[in-house]
Amino acid sequence: MTLVSEVSSGKHESVDPVMSIRGINKGFGAVQALTDISLDIYPGEVVALVGDNGAGKSTLVKILAGVHPQDSGTITFHDKLVSIPTPAASRALGIATVFQDLALCDNLDVVSNLFLGREIGTIALNEVEMESRSWELLRQLSAKIPSVRIPVASLSGGQRQTVAIARSLIGEPSIVILDEPTAALGVAQTAEVLNLIERLRERGHGVLLISHNLADVQAVADRVVVLRLGRNNGEFRVADVSYEDIIAAITGATDNVVTRREAAVRAQTEEKNK
Amino acid sequence: MYLVPVSITKATPGSQTSLREANRARIVDAVKRHGGLTQVELAGATGLSPATVSNIVKELTASGVLHITMTTRSGRRAQHVTLARALGIVAGVHISTRHMRVALSDVTNTVVAEHNMPLAKDHRADNELDKATRLIADMLDSVDATMDEILAVGIAVPAPIDVITGEISRSGLMRGWDGISIADLMHRRIKRPVFVDNEANLAALAEFRLGAARGRPNSVYLRVGQGIGAGLILNGAVYRGYESAAGEFGHMTIDEHGPICRCGNRGCLEAIAGGPAILEGLRESNGPQKLTDVVVHAIAGDAICIRAIADAGRHIGIAAANVCNLLAPERIVVGGELARAGELLLGPMRHSLERSVVMESAKVADIVQGQLGDRAELSGAILYAIDRATIGSDEPIS
Repeated sequence: MTLVSEVSSGKHESVDPVMSIRGINKGFGAVQALTDISLDIYPGEVVALVGDNGAGKSTLVKILAGVHPQDSGTITFHDKLVSIPTPAASRALGIATVFQDLALCDNLDVVSNLFLGREIGTIALNEVEMESRSWELLRQLSAKIPSVRIPVASLSGGQRQTVAIARSLIGEPSIVILDEPTAALGVAQTAEVLNLIERLRERGHGVLLISHNLADVQAVADRVVVLRLGRNNGEFRVADVSYEDIIAAITGATDNVVTRREAAVRAQTEEKNK
Repeated sequence: MYLVPVSITKATPGSQTSLREANRARIVDAVKRHGGLTQVELAGATGLSPATVSNIVKELTASGVLHITMTTRSGRRAQHVTLARALGIVAGVHISTRHMRVALSDVTNTVVAEHNMPLAKDHRADNELDKATRLIADMLDSVDATMDEILAVGIAVPAPIDVITGEISRSGLMRGWDGISIADLMHRRIKRPVFVDNEANLAALAEFRLGAARGRPNSVYLRVGQGIGAGLILNGAVYRGYESAAGEFGHMTIDEHGPICRCGNRGCLEAIAGGPAILEGLRESNGPQKLTDVVVHAIAGDAICIRAIADAGRHIGIAAANVCNLLAPERIVVGGELARAGELLLGPMRHSLERSVVMESAKVADIVQGQLGDRAELSGAILYAIDRATIGSDEPIS
């Protein structure tokens, strides 16, 4: 039984990844949070990033969102080497991040939240334009929002998540990062968010989904990347892999696939060096 | 599920009456989509003025289309608008290999609320039935109803079901659902009568009653998607066969030396033309994708995807010819994910059907696309539940 489906080789010849990161390291004092992380995201693909608590998922997301830069390693975006020193730089590149706490303003209505900091209009705000753009966006996402002129505080969890995701799409990003979008949601709201992720995929965005819920991950993801203790611990195509295999990679219950692959790579390089 | 940008200001040329008609439709649509809304929310969702909404809601309530209950929103009194329903509700659940749809309907077959969500590969019975139960409870809430009002629940599953025991009659097809009585398990959660049947049977029932096979008492419904199955309507009733195992169209042997199928045999139709087989064939050239992507690419003109679908169609056509020789149906209705490719699939099917069938071509069954689309199974589950709930006999469909 092979645990790693060979994703990185021989696939997607026709398409280049939107973003690929190689050899990312990040330490906080004595703690080495990430060691030698690699990850590719292709357009129109949902990649799930899973791992136990402390596996480094959030650290990786924060590096991509520009919260803190990596210690070493490269990030390539549309074939160009980039650095992401600030959240603004991340957004300018076309990476939209939806954090777990959503960061919505509860007292503002849906339209104001969507266009917060990016309002349309020169002197006076063009409310009509913003409202119609909001509806257009929400309709495209098949969102079930009853009104765009009610304060966000009165929306359900799933609807708030929808607004947060819709807001991330305003700048037409190429990658959308969703951090635990279904945590703390009821099943109907979860259904809404999962459908939304499928819409994002159809729109051609690359989606990086961080989640603890493997049922949700397997429902929408094309590829699953497992982190364990700050290292890559397997990469699977959802179509080829069972629930048990992913759990095994998360917990390290098998003889480690990465160690096996690393051993193979090391053997190859040694052979080359000879 | 294509992206259809809906323009907000829908052009409504013509008279005042036609404008009003359009507004009425817009309000009913919004209520349908959300299950239930207050009048204020309805104004926001439709873009109509509150006065117009109030007038139209009053009018539609009087004519029995909508139903109003008093409620509160943010501490204020408000009027909660739902679709009016005849007494009694049935729930329909369609669990397919990668998707779940749940809907509530009244006994006159008007759907009042609906939800759908993608499912994990290899989903498990307990988990998914829990989800379905909670979705039903949620939707009941949104239409101001209680669990007691549910008369019956119909469930469609992608495996042959023994109608008597409610168990999957062939193990190994749906890992995670084997060896359990689905009806029992759901009944324990929801405390209402539950009826389970194969998705292709129920889709056939729906297309026969409401869709493309209406008025054709001998018809075959082919479901072409991840798996391939068939529902047989013979003499106006769903034919289930001994042990309810009829209609395993996908496991007709097409090539005795073909690839091994998930059922353990060699050269089944499903192993050659089923979703996984098509995707496997495209893996080299197009990379990993989903079946819907293949359909979308084919419609957009991708030659490789068109060819893959045509190849599948040709094989399905041969199997369909065998069915035609055996049963001589009047019409073959094709549904499932791949059917969305339309003529790209149906054309090659017709071609190989006509080549291998005994009857002269004028008398051969015509092949058409299903009218109910991806909701056929769900409609079937609802119809089945209504049949069982209202008639209550053992021979419900005729």
